[in-house]
Amino acid sequence: MVADTQALPLAGKRERTLGRLGVRLLAALPLILLVLLLPAKDDNFSHVAAYAAIFVMVGLSMNVLTGYTGQISLGHQAFLGLGALTGANVVSSGVHSADPFTFALGLLIAAAASGGAALILGAVALRIRGLYLALVTLVFGSVFSDTIFTLPSLNGHDAGVPAYRPDALATEYRYYLFALAMVLVCVYVDVWVRRSKVGRGLIAVRDNELVAQAFGVNVLGYKLIAFTISGAMAGLAGGVFAFWEQAFSDKDFLSVAGFNFALTFVVMVVVGGLANRGEVIAAAVFFALVSPLSPLLPWVADHTHWGTFYGNNKFYISNVIGAVLLLQTIVMNPGGLGQVIGPFDSWFGGKKFTLHDPDGDAGVGAMEDSSVRA
Amino acid sequence: MSVLEVTDLTIRFGGLTAIDGLNLKVDEWEIVGLMGPNGAGKTTAFNCITGFYKPTHGRVFFKGNEVTKVPPHRKAAMGIGRTFQNVGMVKSETALENLLTAQHTRAGYGPLQAISGSSVVRQRERDLVAHSEVILDLLGLSAIRDKRIGALPYGTLKLLELGCALATDPDVLLLDEPSSGMGPEESDELGERLLSLRQELGVTMLLIEHHVPLVTAVCDYVYVLNFGKLLAEGDPESIRNHPEVIAAYLGGEAPEALEQTELPQDQQELAEATS
Amino acid sequence: MSQTVLAGTQFSVQIHFLSPLINGIANGAAYGLLGLGLVLLYKSNRIFNFAQGEFATVAAIVTYVFSSGTGWLPDLPFFVAAVFGLLAAVGIALLTERLVIRPMFNRAKVILVVGTVGVALLLIGIEGLLPYPKSQGLPTIGQVFGTQDFIGRIDGIPILYQDIAKLLMLAVLAFAAYLFFQHTGTGTAILAVSQDTTAARVVGISVERISLITWGIAGLLAGVAGILLAVPPTGTVTPGAFTGTTLIVAFSAAVLGGMTSLPGAFVGGLSLGLIQAFANADSTFVPGLREIQNSQELAVFLVLLLVLLVRPRGLLGREA
Repeated sequence: MVADTQALPLAGKRERTLGRLGVRLLAALPLILLVLLLPAKDDNFSHVAAYAAIFVMVGLSMNVLTGYTGQISLGHQAFLGLGALTGANVVSSGVHSADPFTFALGLLIAAAASGGAALILGAVALRIRGLYLALVTLVFGSVFSDTIFTLPSLNGHDAGVPAYRPDALATEYRYYLFALAMVLVCVYVDVWVRRSKVGRGLIAVRDNELVAQAFGVNVLGYKLIAFTISGAMAGLAGGVFAFWEQAFSDKDFLSVAGFNFALTFVVMVVVGGLANRGEVIAAAVFFALVSPLSPLLPWVADHTHWGTFYGNNKFYISNVIGAVLLLQTIVMNPGGLGQVIGPFDSWFGGKKFTLHDPDGDAGVGAMEDSSVRA
Repeated sequence: MSVLEVTDLTIRFGGLTAIDGLNLKVDEWEIVGLMGPNGAGKTTAFNCITGFYKPTHGRVFFKGNEVTKVPPHRKAAMGIGRTFQNVGMVKSETALENLLTAQHTRAGYGPLQAISGSSVVRQRERDLVAHSEVILDLLGLSAIRDKRIGALPYGTLKLLELGCALATDPDVLLLDEPSSGMGPEESDELGERLLSLRQELGVTMLLIEHHVPLVTAVCDYVYVLNFGKLLAEGDPESIRNHPEVIAAYLGGEAPEALEQTELPQDQQELAEATS
Repeated sequence: MSQTVLAGTQFSVQIHFLSPLINGIANGAAYGLLGLGLVLLYKSNRIFNFAQGEFATVAAIVTYVFSSGTGWLPDLPFFVAAVFGLLAAVGIALLTERLVIRPMFNRAKVILVVGTVGVALLLIGIEGLLPYPKSQGLPTIGQVFGTQDFIGRIDGIPILYQDIAKLLMLAVLAFAAYLFFQHTGTGTAILAVSQDTTAARVVGISVERISLITWGIAGLLAGVAGILLAVPPTGTVTPGAFTGTTLIVAFSAAVLGGMTSLPGAFVGGLSLGLIQAFANADSTFVPGLREIQNSQELAVFLVLLLVLLVRPRGLLGREA
C-alpha cells in the first residue's frame, strides 16, 4: 500500500515548479496589465479602482476572521471607521498636504488602533458563544460608531476632519497605486498567515475546537489573534479610505449607513466563498463596484436611459443586488463565487481544468462546521 | 518513574458520578490498556487526564509533576498526546495539513514571526513538511498526503489520526479505540505498528480498547472500569479470564461471582430465574 | 425662602424624572412589540431573525399606501388598510419561510441568520424602490378615532394615546402568546419541533405546517408592531428605519428578558426602554454620560454584554 511518489529527481521538481510559476504569471499578465493601466485613463476610473482596493482589504480582513476562524462579525464597519478616524486625526495639521512621514505614521496608528479595539472586543466578548456573539458584534459595531465617531473632539466638531494626502499622492492615479500597494501588504500578511502555523491554527479552531486543543492550539488566544489581525487590516483599509475621501466624516459610519457597510462586508465574504483568497478578492471588487458610494454605476446609468432612476435609488439598487446574490449563494450555491471561480483557480494552480470539484471544498460549508453554531 | 499517574480521580456531572476514585499508573515504555463496557467512563477518564474536563476530586501527574488543572493545549505542548473516539482531525484540510497543524507547538516560531514571512519561518515550514512525510511513510499513508481527509475511509482516518498524535511529539500517547473500524487483519497490523512505535520512538501508551486480541498482543497491563469505578487490574491474561470482567461485558453477574458478592434481593431472583 | 428653594428642587427633580419615565415606557413598549416576534422565532427555530424589523416596515408601508390617499394611492378606511398591511407582513414572512428558511433547515444556525440578514437587505432595497413618500408616517390612534392625541398631561408632559395603545397591545399579545404556548396544541407542537424535528414527526406533527404557522405568527406580530410604531413623531414608514434603530435594541431587550421567554419580551422591553431613557444624554443623572451623544446606545450595549456574560438566560428565560 505504500505508494512510491518519489520518482522524480529533485532537480526536475524544481524546474517544474518554476515553469508552472512562469505559466501562471503569463496567464495573469493581461489581468495585471488591466489592473495597472486601465485606471490611468481617467480620474474616475482611478477613484473607483481605489475604492475597490479598499474593499479588497476589508474582504481580506473579514476572511481572516470569518473565513479562517469561523467567527462572524456583523459590526466590522467600526474597525474601518476607527481607522479612518485615526488616520485623519493624526495627519490633520491644517496644512493642505500631509508630510509623508506623518502620513505613514497615521496609517500605522490606524491599523494599530483598530487592531487594539478588535482585541479588546474579543477579550471581552469571546466567552459568549455562537449566535449571541454575532449579536454582540452587531450591537458593538453600531454603538461604537455612534458613540466614538460622534465625539466632537474626534470628528472635527461635527464638521468632519480633513485628511490631506501627501503631495506625491495628489493625483487619483497615484493614490490608486498607493492603495494597490496597501492591498499587496495585506495580501502578503494573508499569504503568510495561511502558509504558517497561524492559519492552520485558525482553521483548526474553526473546524473543531477540541481537536485544535489536542494539537496544542490555544483556542482563545488564536481567536484573539484572528480578531487583532482582522481589526488591523480593516483599520489600514480605513486609513486608506479616509485619504481617498480626503476627509473623515462620521456620517459614513453611523446608523443605517454603517449597518449597510457591515452587512455588505458579511455578504462579500460569504458570496466570495470563505477562506479562499482569490474568490474573496473578486467578490470584494464586485461589491465595491455596485455599492452606493461607488461612482461606477452612476457613470453607467448616465450613459443609458436609466440615469435618473438610478441616481435617486442607487442605495436601494445595490441593496437588492447584494441581497439577491447573498441569498442565491447560501441557498443554492454554498461554495459561493468559489464554485464558479474554483475551476479557474485550480487550473491556475496547475491542476487539470475541470468543472467537477473532487475535493468538495466548503465555502459556506466551512462556516457550518465551525464553532459558530448556536 | 511513572510517566502518567492518576490518583483518586472523581468527576460528577450534576447528580451523576461518572468516575469514582480511579487510581491508574502508566510507567515509562509501558503500553497500558483501559477497558470496560460502553458508558463505563473510559473516554471521560481520558478527558479528565488531558484537561478537557475538570475533575471534581483527584489529581493527575505527568512525569512526576501535578498537571490536574493544566488546560488541554498546554498538556499537548508538554507531551501528552491523544486521539478521539470519533476521529479528531481538521476535516476540511488535507492529510499533510493535518500533520502540520498537529506540530503546532513544535513549529519553532511564534505568530508574529509567522506573519513576517522570514527565512526562519520558511525553513521551519520545510522541516515540518519533511517530518510529516516521515510520519506518513511510517504509517504507509504517503498516498493520501494531499487528499482532503473528509472523504477517506474510517480505518484510514484512524491511522492518520494516530499519525497526528505522533506528530505532537508526545511522551505519552492516549489512544481512544484506535482499532475501531478495523477488521481483524488491520487490527493485527495496528498491534504490530504500536509495538514497533514503542520500540523505535520510545512512546508510552494508554489505550482504550474493546478488541481483546489487540489488548492481549500489545498491553503490558490492563485496567478495567465499570460504572466509573475500577473493577479489576492486572496483566491481559488474568483480566481476560476474570469473571467479573466477563460479567460486566455481558451485562449480568457471572455465576462464580454470585457466590462472592452481595446482591440486592430482586436482582438475585432475576438471576436465578434466568439462569 | 428655604421652603421655596426646596419646593423648586422637588419640582425640577420631578420634571427630570417624569419625562424619561414616560419616554422609556413608550419606547420600551416598541422594543417589546418587536421583541415578541424575535423571541417566538428563537423559541421555535433557534435563530435570530434580522428581517423582523422589515416585516414590520412592510406592514406599515402597505397600510400607508392603502389609506393615505395622496397622489394616486387609494384612500381606504384605516382599519381596512391595516388588515392589508398585516396580510402583507404575514405574506412576506411566509415567503421567507418557504424560500429561505425551509431549504436551509438542516444547515448551521449561523447560515440561517445570515440568510435573514439577506432578506432584510433585500426588503430594504425593494421598499426603497417603491414609489411612495418615504418620510411620512401612519396616522396616530387619535387621528384614526378623531380625537386629540393625548389623554391628558402630567406636569406638562402629554400622555399619548399611541403610547398607551402600544403598551396595552404589548401586554395583551405577550399574555396571549404565553397562553398559546402553555395551553394550546399548536403551541406545544411548535416547542416540540424546536427541540427535535424527528421526534416531532414521529408523533405525527407536520414540521412543515408548524414552521409555516410559526413564521406566519411572527409576521403578524411584526405587522402589529409596524402599524403601531410607524407613527410620527418617533416613527415613519422609511425603509430600513426599524432595522437600523429599533431592531438592535429589541434584540437586546429580548436577551435581557430571556430569549426563550415571551413574557420576557414584555419585561425586557420595558426595562431596557427605561434604562435607555435614563441613560440618554439629555436626561441622565450619570455624570460624564452627558458628553457622549447616543449614550443611551452605549447603555444598551453594556446591558447586553452584562446579561450575556453574567446571566445568559436573561431575567425570565429558563435556558440560554
